[in-house]
Amino acid sequence: MSAEISSLTGAEPLLTVRNLSISAAGRAITIGTDLHVGRGETVAIVGESGSGKSLTAKAIVRLLPTGVSATGSVSYDGVDLATLPERAMRAMRGRRISMLLQDPFTMMNPLMKCGAHIEEMLRFNPAYRRRAALKAEVVRRLVEVGITDPDVAERMPFQLSGGMCQRVAIAAALARDPELLIADEPSTALDVTTQAEIIKLLKRVQRARSMSLILITHDLRLAFSTCDRIHVLYAGSLLEVGGAQAVQRDPFHPYTLGLLLSEPPADRRVPKLIAIRGQVPRADLVAERCAFAERCDWARDKCRSAKPALAEAAPGRWTACIRRPEIAAEMQALRAAVIAGSATTVLPLSPTPPMIRVQQAVKTFAGRRGRPVRALKGVSIEVRPGESVGLVGESGSGKTTLGRILVGLETPSDGRVEIAGIEASRFAAMTPADRASVRRTIQMVFQDPYSTLNPRHSVRRSLTEAIRTTGPNALAGAEARVAELLKEVGLPASYAERRPDSLSGGERQRVAIARALSVGPKILVCDEPVSALDVSVQAQILNLFKRLQEELSLSYLFITHDLAVVRQIADRIYVLYLGEIVEEGTTEEIMSRPKHPYTRRLIDSIPH
Amino acid sequence: MTLPLELPQMRGRLQRHGLTLPLLLCLAVVAIVTICAIFGSNIAPDSPFTQRLEVGDKPPSAEFLAGTDLLGRDVLSRVIHGARTALVGPIVVAAGAFAIATLLGLLSGYLGGLVDVAIMRWVDFMLALPGPLVAIVVVGVIGGGYWTAVLVLIILFTAPDTRIVRSAVLEQRPLPYIDAARALGISKRRILFVHILPNILPLILAYVVLDFAFALVNLAGLSFLGLGVQPGTPDWGRMLFENRNILFSNPPGLLLPAGMIILTAVSMNLIGDWLFERLTK
Repeated sequence: MSAEISSLTGAEPLLTVRNLSISAAGRAITIGTDLHVGRGETVAIVGESGSGKSLTAKAIVRLLPTGVSATGSVSYDGVDLATLPERAMRAMRGRRISMLLQDPFTMMNPLMKCGAHIEEMLRFNPAYRRRAALKAEVVRRLVEVGITDPDVAERMPFQLSGGMCQRVAIAAALARDPELLIADEPSTALDVTTQAEIIKLLKRVQRARSMSLILITHDLRLAFSTCDRIHVLYAGSLLEVGGAQAVQRDPFHPYTLGLLLSEPPADRRVPKLIAIRGQVPRADLVAERCAFAERCDWARDKCRSAKPALAEAAPGRWTACIRRPEIAAEMQALRAAVIAGSATTVLPLSPTPPMIRVQQAVKTFAGRRGRPVRALKGVSIEVRPGESVGLVGESGSGKTTLGRILVGLETPSDGRVEIAGIEASRFAAMTPADRASVRRTIQMVFQDPYSTLNPRHSVRRSLTEAIRTTGPNALAGAEARVAELLKEVGLPASYAERRPDSLSGGERQRVAIARALSVGPKILVCDEPVSALDVSVQAQILNLFKRLQEELSLSYLFITHDLAVVRQIADRIYVLYLGEIVEEGTTEEIMSRPKHPYTRRLIDSIPH
Repeated sequence: MTLPLELPQMRGRLQRHGLTLPLLLCLAVVAIVTICAIFGSNIAPDSPFTQRLEVGDKPPSAEFLAGTDLLGRDVLSRVIHGARTALVGPIVVAAGAFAIATLLGLLSGYLGGLVDVAIMRWVDFMLALPGPLVAIVVVGVIGGGYWTAVLVLIILFTAPDTRIVRSAVLEQRPLPYIDAARALGISKRRILFVHILPNILPLILAYVVLDFAFALVNLAGLSFLGLGVQPGTPDWGRMLFENRNILFSNPPGLLLPAGMIILTAVSMNLIGDWLFERLTK
C-alpha cells in the first residue's frame, strides 16, 4: 500500500513504515500499521487514547519504553531504521528526525536555562564553537519560533508560560534542522488560544523549511485543518487513510464518520449529538476482527470473522471497512440528516427568580511570598431555573474558583452569593438547616474522572455515602435509590459492586454524575466534565447531560474552555478573563457576534 | 505424586504476589519467632531459669543443643523464651505509635491551620531530641524497666509517624473525591475516617511493620544496657549482656540471640518493604 501512496502523492518518499506491530508482554498494542511520509508533507495520525498513536511515533525513532517491542520495517530515506546500530540511530535522532512531546513543562530539564536546551542541540556544529556565535544562534532560533525577547534564553523553564515553553521546545527540536518532525499532541496541554498559536507556528515553520511533519493528535478537526493526509488509528489498527479534505468531505470508514459526528460542532447547536456507543477495546482483543465492529451499526458477521485489511477504495483513499461499497449511501445520508437536523433551540428566559445569584464576588489567594493573587475581581452571574449557563475561560481565569465558591468549597473574600434565595457566601456561618438545604440544591461534577471517586469505595458505597447525607432515614431506601441512580445515568445495576479502577473514564464520570444527583439537586456545577474524556465518549456524556436536564429540569453551570462543548449545552454564556466577566449574552449572540477582543480570540482559535 | 505438577502453578501464584525466595524466608523467620513467643514453654527443651552451676559455660552438646551460659542455663531454651519480649514490646510500640500518629496526622493534615501548626511544632521538637539518649535517661531515672521503655519508645516513634500520616493525608486532601464529599455535606469525622483513612491505611500498615523492626532493635539495646527487662528474664538483648564474656567458650550463647535480633529485624524490614510495594500500587 505504501508504494501506491507514494506514487499518488507524487512526493519523494522520506519515511516508509510497513507492517509495524507493537506489543508489550505478549499483548498487541498496534497491529500492522503502515505509514508513509513524503518530503515536505504533513501527515496526521489521529486516534483516541489507547489507539497506539504515541507508541507508533516512539517506535519510529526507536524510543519505546522497556518491555515494549516492535516488529516491521521502518525505512527512512533509504536507511532501514529497524536494524540500524544504536550509535547510528542516535545520530539520526534530533539531526534528521526530531520529536516534540505533549507537556512542555516535563519535556524540559527544570534545572537548565531555556537557552541551554537549544545550545545543547547546537553544540555538535563546529560553526558554533565560539560562545558568542552559539549565543547569537540561540537568539536567532528563538526568533524563528516567535520569541523576540532574547532574555528568554536566560530564563528557567518554570518562569515561562506553557505556550512559551512549547515554543522553546520547538526551537530545540528544530535546532539541528531535521527533515522530519514528529509532534505528539503538541498543543493538547495548552490553553485554547495558545493551542492555535502553536499549531500556526508549527505549520509556518514546516512550510518555511519544507520539512516533513507527523502530527499526532486526538482532535480530528485539528488534523483536518493542519495536515495533507490523515491516518485514522483505532485500537491499534489503521482504519482509514486519505487526503484531509477528502476525508472531511466524505469519510469512508464508519469510525471516522462517528468521530466527525460525535465532535460537538462549534458553529451550531444540535439537539442530540451522535455518540458512538461503548468504548475503545484493547488492541489484542480485536486482532482477528474489525477493531470497530463492536461499536459499529453496520457491522455484520463478516466484519467479526477476519481482520479487514486496509484497501484502496478510491484514488488516494484507503479504508479498512469491507462493507464500504454497500453502506456508502447510508453513511452519507446519516451525515446529511445530522447536518440538516441542526435546528437551534433557544429557550426563552423564564421570569422566575434566579437559582444562583452571585454579586461582585471577589476571591483573593495568598500567592508567592505572601503577595495576594486576585482570582476573582468582582464577578456577578445569574442562573435561572432550568437554564444552562456556560462559564467560559482559560486556565487562570478564575472559572473553577467561582464554581467551588458556589458549592461551598471556597469562601469568597467579598461579595454576595445566593443559592435558591439563601445567602450562601459563607458556608461556615450558615445555620445547619440552611446549609443542608443549599447542599441539596447545588452539587458539583468534577473534571478528572480518575480521582473523582474514592478508589477504596465501590460504586454502591460512593452513592450510599451521598444518599446518607439527605436525612436520618435515608439509608432505608438506599438500595433502591442506588439502582435508580445508576439507571438514570445509563449504567447497569450490576455496576454497583464495581470499584473505580475497573471502570472506564466515561463510566466513572457517569457514577460521579449519579453521586451528584443522589441528593436530588436543582443545579449542577460542571467543571470541565468532559475535557478529560475521549472524543467518542464526550458525546455520550454531553447527551446524558442534555437528557438529565429534560427529565429532572436541572439548571447547569457549565465551566469549560471548550466553546464547541458549551455551544451544545448552554443557553447563555459568560466569558471570564483574568477574574472578570468580559462578555455575557445568549450562546448565539456570543458565538456569532462576539464583541470583546478576548472572546473573538477564543472563537478564532477553534480549528476550522 | 501431584507435587511436581502443582509446583509450577504455585510458583506462578507466589510470583504474582511478589513473593520471592528471600521474602518467603523472612516470612518463615517471623512465623518461627511468633510460634516461639506463643508456645515457648511447650517447645523449649528445658526451663529457661534452671541453674546448674556445675555445667556452666559449656559449648553445645547433645543435652544442651546451644550450650549453657555462666549459670548453666540452657541457651536454646532462653532464646526460645526470649521471643516473647522480642515480639510483644515492639508490637505494642508499633501499634501504639501509629494509633496516636494516625489520629494526629489526620487532624493535622486535614484541618490545617492552628491545629496543624501546634502538632507539627511538637513533632519538630520531638525530632530534635536524641531519641536513644532520651530513652536511656528516662528509663534510668524513672525505672520500671521494660514497660517504661515501651512507653518512651511509643512517644518517640509517634513524632516521625505523624509526619508520614500527615503527608499522606495532604496527598489525598486536594483530590476531587474529597471535594465531592465536602460538597455533599458529609461530616468532617466521616471524611477523615471513612473516606481518607482507608486510602492511607496501606501506607500506615507498611510503616507499622518497619516501626516494629526499629522498636525491636531499640528495646534489645536498652535491655543490653540493663534498662529493659528484669535481670534473669530470658531476653535476647539481656542475653547479649550476660553472655558477652563467653563468646569463645560457648559461641552460641552470644551469637544465637544476636543472630535472632538481626534476623527478625531484617525480616520485618523486608516484609515492610514488600507490603509497601504491594499495598501502595
